[in-house]
Amino acid sequence: MDTITQETTCILALVATLMPLLSFAGILLVPGRTDRGAFFSILNISFSLLLSVLVFIKVWDQPVVHQQLEWFTIGNWHFKAGILINNLSALMLLLISLIAALVHIYSLKYMEGDPYLFRYWAYLGLFCFSMFGLVITDSLLLLYMFWELVGFSSYLLIGFWFTRKAAVQANKKAFIMNRLGDLGFLTGIMIIFTQFQTLDISLLFSEGGFVSHATIQNGFWVFSSNKMPDIWLTIAGLAFFFGAAAKSAQFPLHTWLPDAMEGPTSVSSLIHAATMVAAGVFLLGRIYPIFNSEVLLVIAVIGAFTAFMAATIALVQNDIKRILAFSTISQLGFMMLAMGVGAYGSAIFHLITHAFFKCLLFLSAGAVIHEMHHLKEKYKLDIDHQDIRLMGGLRKFMPLTFITMLLAALALIGIPGTSGYLSKDAILIQAFEWSEGQAGFWKVIPYSALITSWLTAFYISRLIFKVFFGRLRLNDICGQTFSLHEAPKIMTYVLVALATFCLFPFFSFNPLHYEHSWIIEGLNVVSNIGRVNIYHTLIPAAVNLFAVLIIYLSFTWYVKRGKSPDLSNSALFRFAENQWYFDKIYQNSFVNGILLLSRSVFAFDKAVVDGFVNLLGRATVLIAGLSQWLDRRVVDGVVNGAGSVTKIIGNFARHFQTGRLQHYLVTMLLIVLSFFIIKYFSQAI
Amino acid sequence: MSLLSLLIFIPLVAGLIILLLPSIWQQHYKYLALGAIVVQLLLSAYVYLNFDGSVYSGIDTQSKYQLVERLPWIRLDLGSFGALEIDYFLGIDGLSMPFLVLSSLVMLVALISSWEIKDNLKGFFALFLLLDTAVMGVFCALDFFLFYVFYELMLLPLYFLIGMWGGIRREYAAIKFFLYTLFGSVFMLLVIIGLYFSVTDPQTGNHTFNMLHMMNPDNYVQGSIFSALANQELFGIPARLLAFIVLFIAFAIKVPVVPLHTWLPDAHVEAPTPVSIILAGILLKIGGYGILRICFSIFPDAAIESAWWLGLIGVVSIIYGALNALAQKDLKRLIAYSSVSHMGFVMLGIASVTSEGISGAMMQMISHGFLSSMLFFLVGVIYTRVHDRQIPNFRGLALIMPKYTTFVMIAFFASLGLPGFSAFIAEAFSLIGAFNSESINGLLPRWMAVCGSLGMLLGAAYLLWTLQRMFFGKTRLWGGEDWRQKLTDLNGREIFALTSLSVMALLLGIIPSLAFDKMNASVLELIRLVNLR
Amino acid sequence: MIPLAHFMFVSAALFCIGIYAVLSKRNAIMILVGIELMLNAAILNLVTFSKHDKFEASGQVFALFAIILAAAAVAVSLAIILNVYKYYRTIDPTKIDNLRN
Repeated sequence: MDTITQETTCILALVATLMPLLSFAGILLVPGRTDRGAFFSILNISFSLLLSVLVFIKVWDQPVVHQQLEWFTIGNWHFKAGILINNLSALMLLLISLIAALVHIYSLKYMEGDPYLFRYWAYLGLFCFSMFGLVITDSLLLLYMFWELVGFSSYLLIGFWFTRKAAVQANKKAFIMNRLGDLGFLTGIMIIFTQFQTLDISLLFSEGGFVSHATIQNGFWVFSSNKMPDIWLTIAGLAFFFGAAAKSAQFPLHTWLPDAMEGPTSVSSLIHAATMVAAGVFLLGRIYPIFNSEVLLVIAVIGAFTAFMAATIALVQNDIKRILAFSTISQLGFMMLAMGVGAYGSAIFHLITHAFFKCLLFLSAGAVIHEMHHLKEKYKLDIDHQDIRLMGGLRKFMPLTFITMLLAALALIGIPGTSGYLSKDAILIQAFEWSEGQAGFWKVIPYSALITSWLTAFYISRLIFKVFFGRLRLNDICGQTFSLHEAPKIMTYVLVALATFCLFPFFSFNPLHYEHSWIIEGLNVVSNIGRVNIYHTLIPAAVNLFAVLIIYLSFTWYVKRGKSPDLSNSALFRFAENQWYFDKIYQNSFVNGILLLSRSVFAFDKAVVDGFVNLLGRATVLIAGLSQWLDRRVVDGVVNGAGSVTKIIGNFARHFQTGRLQHYLVTMLLIVLSFFIIKYFSQAI
Repeated sequence: MSLLSLLIFIPLVAGLIILLLPSIWQQHYKYLALGAIVVQLLLSAYVYLNFDGSVYSGIDTQSKYQLVERLPWIRLDLGSFGALEIDYFLGIDGLSMPFLVLSSLVMLVALISSWEIKDNLKGFFALFLLLDTAVMGVFCALDFFLFYVFYELMLLPLYFLIGMWGGIRREYAAIKFFLYTLFGSVFMLLVIIGLYFSVTDPQTGNHTFNMLHMMNPDNYVQGSIFSALANQELFGIPARLLAFIVLFIAFAIKVPVVPLHTWLPDAHVEAPTPVSIILAGILLKIGGYGILRICFSIFPDAAIESAWWLGLIGVVSIIYGALNALAQKDLKRLIAYSSVSHMGFVMLGIASVTSEGISGAMMQMISHGFLSSMLFFLVGVIYTRVHDRQIPNFRGLALIMPKYTTFVMIAFFASLGLPGFSAFIAEAFSLIGAFNSESINGLLPRWMAVCGSLGMLLGAAYLLWTLQRMFFGKTRLWGGEDWRQKLTDLNGREIFALTSLSVMALLLGIIPSLAFDKMNASVLELIRLVNLR
Repeated sequence: MIPLAHFMFVSAALFCIGIYAVLSKRNAIMILVGIELMLNAAILNLVTFSKHDKFEASGQVFALFAIILAAAAVAVSLAIILNVYKYYRTIDPTKIDNLRN
């Protein structure tokens, strides 16, 4: 591609990125009614979508587009800002703009009637801007900036209903946990900058880039004239992964995501299911060459563990959005696992398919919540409208929602014919292939992934059965017969549109073989082991056969018999219900620990540091007092003493001066007489 | 053209005029002060625009300074000691120029917030303008004696401004502030005298107070106390190291660093809003500026030697300040401690002696100047309305004061280092510099940068927690309905001040080259000087 | 012939009476009288002892001189007393204490 087309492509991508920012700024700065901005935002995001499609067409399977400008200079380092669009970013750009556009349209009806609606549109604009920026930027510094900005817009959107206590606690938690991860990211950036003196992604991570030229020599990580101990390479990888783990809600930084469900459901679907949480995976994809084998192993282990843990928690939750949130964590764990085992393409592929079906799951759940909420408002019921224990039989009232959600659920389970089948099996198969080359112990990773996928089948079918089958349990509780309606038309259109993306043809014309998916081919990293490998047939068969059995099991539990075995007293159940006690542990150890520390530091500051200063002050005053006493009593005392002695003598002598001549004369006489008497006697002797 | 003199003395002249005017016009004093400061701001903007950051790097060469003014001031013949040579010597380079712009803008904002001052206006505005003069003088002075004169001149108005217009414990705070600073500067005077007797002007052969001559090792008299070659010792410590430490303590008190920071929360809490703004926005920067301009430039060898300790002090300040901020219930005290934390990044960046680190530190000072002014201004807004600023006494302010909350969020997020605002660039590069230091000059270990970054996390924690406690949730005020009536949203004057500050922070965050381009050459020159030893 | 001792006794008695008057009287005139008595006692002594100076009678000459002096002194003293009385309306010397302290 020549320079001119490169430039136009960049401009297209840039405009696509800036359109949402325009709606952010425009809505906030131009005053008007509190529900302004809907039309403006949708127009802008649609335009972005259009441009993203153009960019995608221009870039896909073409040479990388890269343009940059000088941004600023520090010392001798020149920092550049630019746009780097390869297949990965073009794909992400398209995915984000598509889902964002759909969610915008969905929100039109879903958020209707909310006071301060303009803020919602503005925040969505800010989010889309940062997300677009995140995927197209070419510098780690800018990537970090957008990375934090998506966290910030997520903060704003989770706390959109800021009068709710839970919402503002959730957004604080989300931001702080993400901040913790960001520190990892920043550490990674510092290491990279120190070693390579640049933060340009294409220079660093492209084929034959700086990172691939750096070598390990005698325990040192060497690049041209720089070297540092090779532990820093591992630390860099771990640091970046730590950042990604926070954003993608991986263990141990996953606890913010379930709480983030306090935001509007449309936000959850866009940010906390489809796009922002996938940014961690995207980041790993962008900087993949930096990871050495130890780090990859860590990533795989954490991914597998997170997937398993979140799936077990999802089994026993009753809040419809929380189930989906844990499902998201679990699926992100799958992507991380894929990254860890080297299945880079499959990870991204799963990211894409997951974005669609999880977004759809959320939006359908949103439709259900929307209607339940209406019911609650209408009859002034005191219920939790997100509790699946109160739902049931909704398929009769909301058939379209039911069908779309079912499709998404099937995709999540990975039933053949859906997009999920392709991507999930790709990950499982590659995990097994990877474990071939590892020590026996690491076989646990693919097997845990396998178990996780069966757990997935159970919790999602439980959700579907409990919500849509049977009869409305709310009737039993309130002793009334309620009826619901299908969601508003605009919302159902969006659901249908998304549902089509859950089917295989969009991703591969062969419904069974993931290798033929154009995404995997486009990302150009298919493992070269052919289909001869036994795993390629065995695993899909095993997964699906068993998954169908599990679905049937949950069908008998929740629909046919209407009664499931009561396990709620077992220790494992409670362990899962309390989300493995992570929140409690974090609260008790870290949060309370830091608060305690801060209070004691403040006490220290007041008592010791300030106390010392005050003591010094008081000591000075004391010494001053002492010296003043000395001065008055001793130094001045001598002077005054001399004076007063004179005075005393004077006072004494004064008494002789009576002023009476006769006294004087008597004295004179006495003295003369005594003089004579003395003389007389002295002569006599 | 004596632009710098104009910049320095316009406020002084305005202050004198205010003193001469009869008191019946006291409601109009503020307009006179405003006029003076606006002129000053325009002048400094002119200076900024005409400042050539590439060629004129300054630091130790007079010809590389811009807008130099050098007049003989005191020439006293001391017989056998030679002539006393004190110059009225002004000039700016990349290290000082940004602070001129910062100071004049912060002064404007502080003046806008002094609209709330009601008593003894004559004294207030005269002292305010005197302070302005002193501050500008400190940043422009290149003669150590002149510098010291301006440096001490700052204390006087501040003492009275805190002591007379402050809160309940204002006298305690004022005296604490005064003594703390004086403690530092008295010893500084000894070092200045020592330097005077060690340095001669190469042209006239007289002893001199000229800072630029002090930076050149060739100008030191052989065998004099601060001569690098003579290697003299005082109390068993090398004299140059001791002098560095003394000067460092003098400036570190201003910055402030842990454990010399305890004047700051008290002074801030007791000071009236405009003085808090000036304290946080400008005075703390004088500490950092002094460390760069004087400690590092005149005693580079000692600076290198103690860099590890400076870095450690920086890291400790960052984390200690942030932890303290987390424990506060008084909003103003919280922000005061957050200043300690943020200025820790400055120390860390400076200690790294890398271009990223020092640029980051400079940027952090500028950015903190804007943001802390904004934060103190915001605290002042609710304090003047209800005379309370205890965090637990407010809840759900977002519902009744939406514009105010917007600006609070901007200020909070900007100061916790949200990308797009200046603090992010500043903190990121301070940390990058500190991290890079081990590879470039081996001064700071890498863990310092990593620990320092924890400050960013804690910063997010205390600010967001405050946001949650005070602004979100359902409105509940300690003062009930009465407060609700009094807590009106921002007025136009306040919005103007806050907008100008947030625009500056945003601009510097998006286009950091606005600042970096002007100071780049100076920073590089400084590093060259320090590494030369 | 009257022995010398008798003169001495008379003179001593006179002197003692004079001293008594000077020391005890609260009236300036009486004090003056006392002084005169003491003076006369002295003169009497002078005259008495002049008996032994037969050739020049200097004792008697001296006595005469003393009598004249005494007369002058009395004149001056009386004038002072008169003035004091005019000023203070009293001639009790204990009450005239303007210069005290």
